[in-house]
This record gives sequence, structure tokens and C-alpha cells, in this order.
Amino acid sequence: MPTVVLMDVSLSMTRPVCLDGSEEFQRKNLAVHGLNMLFEHMASNYRLEFTALMAFSSLWELLVPFTRDYNALQEALSRLEDYDKTCVESALNGVNNVVQQEWGSACPCQLVLVTDGSLGIGKGSLRHSLQTLKQRGEDKKFPLPFPFPTKLFIMCVANAEELQATDAMDNLEELLRLSGGDGQIFTVDGPLCMKSVQGMFGRLIDFAYSPFHAVLHCGNLSSDVQVFPRPEPVVVDDEVEPMPQTVSTDLEIVGFLEIADISSPPVISRHLVLPIAVNKDVDEVGAGATDELEEEPSASQMAGKSPNFCVLLHGSLKVEGMVALVQLGPEWFGMLYAQADSKKKSNLMMSLFEPGPEPLPWLGKISHLGPISEAAENPYGEDDSKSPFPVTPQAKRSYAQNVTVWIKASGLQTDVQKILRNARKLPDKTQTFYKELNRLRKAALAFGFWELLKGVAELLERECTLLPDSAHPDAAFQLTHAAQQLKLASTATSQLELKHGRLSGTASEVFHVLFEELKGTRHFFVKMR
Amino acid sequence: MKMFSVAHKTVFVVDHCPYMAESSRQQVECDVLTKSRAQGVIPLAPVSKSLWTCAVECSMEYCRILYDVYPRDKLVNYIVSDSEFHILNSWRREDQTTLELMSALAAVGPPNPREDPECCSILHGLVAAVESLCKITELQHERRTAMMDTAERVSNRGRIICLTNAKSDTHVRMLEDCIQETIMEQNKLAAGSDRLMAIQQCDLVLVHIYPQGEDTLVSDRPKKDISPLLTSEVHSVRAGRHLATKLNILVQQHFDLASTTITNIPMKEEQHANTSANYDVELLHHRDAHLEFFKSGDLHMAGTSTRENGLKETITLKWCTPRTNGIELHYCTGAYRISPTDVNSRPSSCLTNFLLNGRSVLLEQPRKLGSKVISHMLSSHGGEIFLHVLNSNRSTLEDPPSISEGCGGRVTDYRITDFGEFMKENRLTPVSESSHDPSLKLPIERGKAQLERHTRYWPMIISQTTIFNMQAVSSDDEETQERTTRSPFPRDEQYRIMWNELETLVKTHAGATDRHQRVLDCIVACRSKPPEEEERKKRGRKREDREDRTEKNGSKETEDKSWQDSEKSVVRSENIPNITDSPDSPEPLNKKPRLNSDDLQPPDRAKGPVSLLSMWTNRITVANSRKHQEFVGRASSVNNKFELYQHLKEENGMDVHENGKASR
Repeated sequence: MPTVVLMDVSLSMTRPVCLDGSEEFQRKNLAVHGLNMLFEHMASNYRLEFTALMAFSSLWELLVPFTRDYNALQEALSRLEDYDKTCVESALNGVNNVVQQEWGSACPCQLVLVTDGSLGIGKGSLRHSLQTLKQRGEDKKFPLPFPFPTKLFIMCVANAEELQATDAMDNLEELLRLSGGDGQIFTVDGPLCMKSVQGMFGRLIDFAYSPFHAVLHCGNLSSDVQVFPRPEPVVVDDEVEPMPQTVSTDLEIVGFLEIADISSPPVISRHLVLPIAVNKDVDEVGAGATDELEEEPSASQMAGKSPNFCVLLHGSLKVEGMVALVQLGPEWFGMLYAQADSKKKSNLMMSLFEPGPEPLPWLGKISHLGPISEAAENPYGEDDSKSPFPVTPQAKRSYAQNVTVWIKASGLQTDVQKILRNARKLPDKTQTFYKELNRLRKAALAFGFWELLKGVAELLERECTLLPDSAHPDAAFQLTHAAQQLKLASTATSQLELKHGRLSGTASEVFHVLFEELKGTRHFFVKMR
Repeated sequence: MKMFSVAHKTVFVVDHCPYMAESSRQQVECDVLTKSRAQGVIPLAPVSKSLWTCAVECSMEYCRILYDVYPRDKLVNYIVSDSEFHILNSWRREDQTTLELMSALAAVGPPNPREDPECCSILHGLVAAVESLCKITELQHERRTAMMDTAERVSNRGRIICLTNAKSDTHVRMLEDCIQETIMEQNKLAAGSDRLMAIQQCDLVLVHIYPQGEDTLVSDRPKKDISPLLTSEVHSVRAGRHLATKLNILVQQHFDLASTTITNIPMKEEQHANTSANYDVELLHHRDAHLEFFKSGDLHMAGTSTRENGLKETITLKWCTPRTNGIELHYCTGAYRISPTDVNSRPSSCLTNFLLNGRSVLLEQPRKLGSKVISHMLSSHGGEIFLHVLNSNRSTLEDPPSISEGCGGRVTDYRITDFGEFMKENRLTPVSESSHDPSLKLPIERGKAQLERHTRYWPMIISQTTIFNMQAVSSDDEETQERTTRSPFPRDEQYRIMWNELETLVKTHAGATDRHQRVLDCIVACRSKPPEEEERKKRGRKREDREDRTEKNGSKETEDKSWQDSEKSVVRSENIPNITDSPDSPEPLNKKPRLNSDDLQPPDRAKGPVSLLSMWTNRITVANSRKHQEFVGRASSVNNKFELYQHLKEENGMDVHENGKASR
């Protein structure tokens, strides 16, 4: 999830902070100090995050485009200049452009807005922007909410009391609400100083930039991993289940599937699964600090040389073209697979499915996937030539069955023509003729379209009169008979009952009986000759 | 869309009163004469559908699209109203097919024009619809049961689509009031029942249908609140294609659908098989498949066009060759079921059949400038076609550190092939809910249990294991073989390691059954050596170590030869160092020892504990001897020698060949 740091460089940021006895700081210096701390943390613990740095006053400027080069970001911070007044709205428009250009509109982003809480005056001020929200045309819409999912963190180099003295806090809260409500407003605890600003950025780091550590299990095999980016909590249906679901820190492999069977499934997010050596972190505070420094390269070498389950899993998934199904929570699953980038660097990746018991219809319920050893015979075949997937639903979709739709005249014409074409080739096409006739009849009865049945009966009678002398006698018989039956069907079942005393039931049952009878007659004809 | 939004329950109430038997006055020419036969034949008069037929076929089309896109848990209850109400199906999942509804409709038949209009009313159906909305569905029941104390989160909302011919706006208002009243009554009833739920929201969509060429007596009205529980909207539509278009728009609105037109589909011409033309096919699907376009305001770029016929706009995507294969794992952010708008047109059925046969098609955004962007993929899974949304933006995960740079990345002898086999053995298969015994653990839990069992002892690298490599010796993995033979430990140390490992492996499973325990006992017994043997070993070890180097070739050879006896280990022989001669060279001198190696154990081995090699060799020999009759010569040999072709001597010393000829 890329980060945009949006730094207020208006004049108010140069206001001095009174610290007794020591040298004088500007609010800007404190903010830069806090951001340096954030960048240093990211460089060592969250270095795969792409971060961009933007500065704004009444204008905005992209100082560092999205990068993982945290030195470049820190360097740019040291070169910040001071400009005029704060104009949040135009800066947000800038963020919108920069993010969409780089990542499109689907990629979630984090925005860290650093300001002193003095949000401009007059036109262009946040207060003005928020007051005029509802009086705008389509082209001048307020940039929030952004089209992409946003987490907004507002870092105020000011304490809460200071902000509440004016309407600044209210305006910032409204801003957070407009952005979708995901995020937080951070303020300085106590008087402004280096330490209190550090504390504030420390809270941001804990909240949004602490690495997600988990243990990947496969039976008794396991590996400590970092999942990057951090998997976000998900709410599927805020009415039925308003509590967000979170990814467990125990990721449990439940079994394996072929790539062709899982078949490009839809996923809600993708993450790198990076094996980590956990012990290193545990004893980082120790007496022999100097010793540890010396040992560090060898420690990481050691980590490289001791076997890790992730590497084994990655290698085998890649060679076999398979994925591992992994459980993330009570009813939440994902898949692990090997992914190579354009530079042939390969990695273990994890994609998360939508939470729920049946995220992929073609696998069926995940809880009902069991080991193949329990099946009577291997469902993949002895030579891997078969597969038990996809799971087929009971009912076919309309395009997989021969449905009848006559909404457009052409649909009806085609169906009638099909019958006539077959009628002209009787008795060779008797079977197709009745199949098509039956389909039309069934639909006409369902739609209550009896006029059509009469019409087609007339057409068949006409075809009968047009038969050439050379025609097979059976052709005439079939046409006459079919026409007669259609006419009967187009009136009412009661008449059929009169004629065939033994017949009763629904129209389709009656037709079935007639159809059977008809087949018998044809046989009779053949035998007679 | 929420699970229990108004879209969960839709009641169709279709008017079956005598006036619905009236003609729509839209004529359909169904006798299209072909040129060759036109001479002297009077074409059939065009037929026209009744208002009833129009209502039924359009409502069926609505259901067809709905069931294609949401095969589960977007439910329809179909009610027909004349002098009484007829409920054609229930909320049950098995009743939710167009096939089911069509046969029920066939049984109803068209309205009887001679029925007394005074007795007939749409009201019977509307009252039944409200009652039906109070009935709990399977999904509502399942969720309420599962959620226990938070069961109140399961809502009961629904929509009534009424297809009728109303008399006036006042008549419409009367219908609305009546529904409102019925809701109040039914909610009171529902409060005291387990199988009923009070209605929290009901949307009435009243479609007034009138014949072509007539003026409407009812005016259109957008959605408005009648009460906190009821909203109502009125659409006044001419029967025929206008009605079809209206219901198509409604189904899209009601179920958050959007339209995509696939363009440039290459199709062979029916008449001229050699030529191909390009066709377009329109598909409906959940509108989230266009989310990216909507968000970025890119709709125009994606080729949207607003159509004159009043249908909602469609987004054009271009058929893209080359096709994709199933082995590729695309980064897909959504997959949505589709329904063709014109299901049985030839281009539609060509496209859907192509996809149902297991092929996938990539779709690109038509752009005038710039590189092509592939944004979607059509693919079928188990007879259902899905529109997959592919990510076409820059990835935030690009250029990650390679796995070889991280923990365990430097290790080069992972048991990749073995773990591949392990994964294959631990693949999953669907277990049908009917064959699952509910008293047992869920299939997926049994899968986890199997993984646990299979990994109790599973060394990850080749150099950590001996026993699993022995399994691999018979395979042609040369690297594995080299590793095993290159072991830095002396021979009996290797045996010790192997036995230890075997014991570890079996121990982890010994608790399973008595028989597992017996296998462990056997292994332990094999390992325990007689005390004098230990003594001798100790004395001998020094000498052995010294001689190990010189003996190595020889002893290894013996080992190899016996391995060769098993059919599987042929490849192994390539490693024997002394078979380097050309095929023409004379018989190797060491032929004799080879013959002896099987039954003549080196004296010190014969006394010691049974070696795994000899256990294995004996096993293979016994197994092989069962497969064939022992050669008479070997069976009756003296000192392993037997004279061949003894019978020739007895036949007068005659040449075999001549003998053969003479007998002719």
C-alpha cells in the first residue's frame, strides 16, 4: 500500500517553538524530525513500501516520486523551503493525480498529511472548502473521497487543546470523515518539543507501519514470516457481520491444488511472504552491543544457510505448478504460490480470497475439500490425467441449455424456420423435426402463446400441400398429424380429454403420450410397407 | 450489495385477469419465405402476442438474467392473480429455475377471456405477495440459526414487481394503500411466529402494460415513500419490445448490473466457411467489473456508448488474440458471472460455446493511442462463464528481494522433488455434502490432520537425511546419489545415523496403533547387538578405518551388484567405476566374485547384526524368486557349477542343425 507524505510548507510552519534554555526550533523542524524518524523506521522495517513526498502551500509540488530510496526522501526533507499559505484542497487534488497516475484507482493508498493545524484563511482554506462542499459543479468537486481506498493519517504538530481552541480539529475530523473514515488524527501530547513529536510519530508507526509477522504452518513444518504489505481487516457485510475480520498470525496450509484447477481466482489483495529469522529481534538488547555489531553479518549469513520451509515450499510450488491453500481465519482462506517478476526474481506470494465459506464457486465449499487419500480412487487419476475440479453447479445457466426466447422477432422466426426446414426433409429428419416442434410447443404453452401454435399448424398443413409427388408418404402423414396435435394443444386440454378418453393430466403430459403414440404409428407405417 | 437487501426476495405478481388476454397489437411475422420457394405461396398472416404473453416472456427474461448472474440466494417467488392467487413456486433454492417456472406457467395457461371480470383482481396476488415476503427463506433461516444472539441482524426486505393493466392513477393508489395495510397486518402476525419475519422494507415496482396504439391511463411516477416500510414507483409501458427493454433496465437496476459488449469476435460465416466476419456480443454482469472505469472517470476511454433505444450504456471491450492458457495464474481482482442479453442469437451462442469448451479469452480496452491494455478475461468454470477483472496497473510489489536472498536462501539441497510428491499426495478433492458423515470431522480438518501426520518427521534438505535418500537412490537423480556416497562419515557411522533416523521416523507414528508399535519394536530389536559383537567391532574399527580407503572400491562394487538385482536400480550401475571398458574388450576378470556376492557374505558381516543392505537384498531376492521358476541348473548345482546342454551328448553326437533338418 503506497504512502504519500504531504508536508505543509506554509509560512505558519515556520512559527518558532519556545523551549526554555535550548536553541529555538520551528514547527517545520519538529515535523521534519518526525518524518525522518518515520523514514528511518521504514528503511529498516518496512522497506518495500513505496513512498512519495509532496510539499504544499497554496500550490503543491511532487518533491520525490514514489520510491523505496529512503535516503532520497530524507535528503529532500532537508531541502524544504518556505512558501505562502495553506490550501489543503488543491494539495489533495495533487495527491489524487499523483496516485492515480502511478497506481490507478484500485490500489489502496496511505496519505500522511503533516501540518500545524493552521489550515489557511479565506478562499482556499479548508474551512472555506468544507463550507462550499454542496455548492459545486461536477468539474469542481471536492477531491475526497479519493477513487482509491484511502487511509488518511493527519499528523498535527500541535496539541489537541490548541486545535480545539479554533475550529481546526472540527475541520480535520470532517476531512477524515469525507475521506471514508479510515485513518486517524494524531496530535502532540503535552508541550511541543522533539520528544513529544517523536512520540506522535511513534504512535503512527505502531498503528500503520509495524511489520506484520506470522507463522506459516504446514503440519509440523513451519517458518516465521513477514507478510507485506500488512493484510488489512475486511468487512464483507456490515449488516450481518459488522466486526472486521483480521488475518490470523498463524497461517495454516490445509492442502494443495493445481494451478489449472484454482484457475486465476479473484483475490482481494496480494502479499509477499518473506521468511524471517525471529531470534535476532529477541535478543537485540544485550550487554555486548559491540560484539553483536560484529556478529551481525555472520548472523544474517547463518539465517541464509539454515534451511527454511518457505524456500522449500516456494521451490516445489514453482516446479510442480501448484498452489497451497492456506487458512487465514475461521472462514477465510487464501493461496500461496511462486511468482516470478520480469527480472526472473522469484518469490513466495500469498493472495487473499474474499472471506466466507465458498469464495470460489468452482472449488465448492472449502470446508468440504478433503484429502485425496480418503477417496475410493485417486480423483486425479494414477497419471495425473484427471481432476475433480471444477465443481459443477446443479442447475445449468441459460446459455448452457437450449432456452427459448422470443422477445426479438428474429428469435421466433429462427425457431419456426428450423421446424419448416426439417419438415421439408421428412421422414429423414423426423427426430429433429419433433425435437424442434416440441421445444416450440413447450415454450408457446408456457408463454400462453396459443396463436402461435395455430399459426405453425397452418404452416405445416401448407407444407403438406406443397409436397412434391415424389415425396415419401410418411412425410404427409407426419405433417398432418403434427398439425392436428398443435391445433389440439392450442385450444384446451379438455378437448383432448374428449377425444382420447384415457388421457388426462397437464398439457405436457398429454403431449408426451401423443408423441409416444406418434412414434408407434410411424413404426407401424414402416412395417406395413 | 448487502446479503439481505431488497434484492434477496423478489415477488413477481402477474395479472391473469380476462383483459390480459387482449392482443398487444404488436405483430410478429413468423413465416419468412425463402426466395426459392416464394412462388405462388401465400404467407401466413402475422401472429401477435397477448398482453399476458408479453408479461410472461419479459418476466421470464428478467429471471433468466437474474439466475445466470446470481444462481444462489437472490430469490424469486412467482404469483399469478385472477379470481384468486396462484403461487407458482416457493423461496426454496430448488424452485429457483426458469425451467420450473415455465412448466408451472404452462399449467396455468393464458387468461380465460370469458371469465367474469368482476371476480378477478390483481389484489389477490398482491396480498399473497406480502404474505410471501414474510416467509423466511433458507438463507435467512441458516443465518439466524448460525448467529444465535445476533440473529436480529438478519433483515427482511423485499421487492414486489407487479405486471398489470391498471385502470387509472387512483386505481394505482388504491393498490398501494392495500399493500401498505397488508404489510401492517402481516407484520403483526409475523411477530408471533418463528417461520415468519416482519417486513422491514418493501419496494413496489408497478408496471402498467397497455396495448400498442392506445393511450395510457396511468402516469409514470418515480420512486416515492408511501410509508417508512413501503416505497412505490410506477412505469407505464407499451406491450412488446418496450416492455422487454423496461424489464431489462429494471433487472440491471435492481441487481447492480452493467453491460459489456465484446467486439471484434472473429466468427466463421455460416454460408461461406472460409471467410470470417467480426461480431459483437453484449453481456450483463455485476457492475463491479467496471469499477476501475467508473472510479477513474475513464468510461469514455473504455468505449462507452449511450444507446438510443433507452437501454443503459454499455462498455466495449475488444476480443484479444492470442488466447491465454489455464496454467497461468493471472492477478485477478474480481470474477463476475455473466448473462448474454440475447442468449440464443448466433454470435452469443458461438461465444458462450467457445468458452464453455474450456477456452479463455483476454479482453482489451479499445484505445486510439498508446499500448494495449488487457483489463478483463472471459473464462468458464464448471459450466458457468465469468468475467474476470485483471489488474492492469503498476504493482506495488514489484522488484521484491528474491527468495534466494532471504532466510534459507543460500541452502541449495532442499528436497524440492520430494516435497513436490508430498504436495501431490496432499492435494484436495471436493467431498459432497451428502457423502460427508456429520459425526466426523469436516473434510478440511481431516486434510490438516493428514498434513500433521505426514510431517512428523520430514527433513527439509538432502544432507539431513539418509533414509529418504535411499528411497531416491533408485531414481536417476544423480545429485542425490553423489551426496549420499560423498558422506563425510565412515561407513558404520553412516549406518548408525541411518538407524537413528529410521527410529525417529517410526517413533513419531508408534502411538497410532499396536502394529505401528510393533514396527518400532522390530527396529529397536534389529539395532541391539550382541555384546561380544560390540567388543569385536571396537577392536576392528581401527583396522577398518585404515582399510576403508582401499576397500572402498571393492565393497562398493559388491553393494552395487546386489542393488543391480532389483529391477529398479539399473541406472545405478553407471556409477560403478570399473565398467569403463569398451564393449569389445574381453570379459572382465572379476566376473567370478560377482556370482558369489549374493550368497557369500563376508565372514565378519555374517556374524554381526543384519545390515540393511543384506536385509534389502534378501527381500528383493525372495521377491524375485517368487516371480519365476528357479533355473534347474542353479538348483542342482555343485559348488555353484553346472554343466549346460548335457542332453546334446546323449544324442549320438549329431549336430543340432543337421538333426533339425533330418527330422523334417
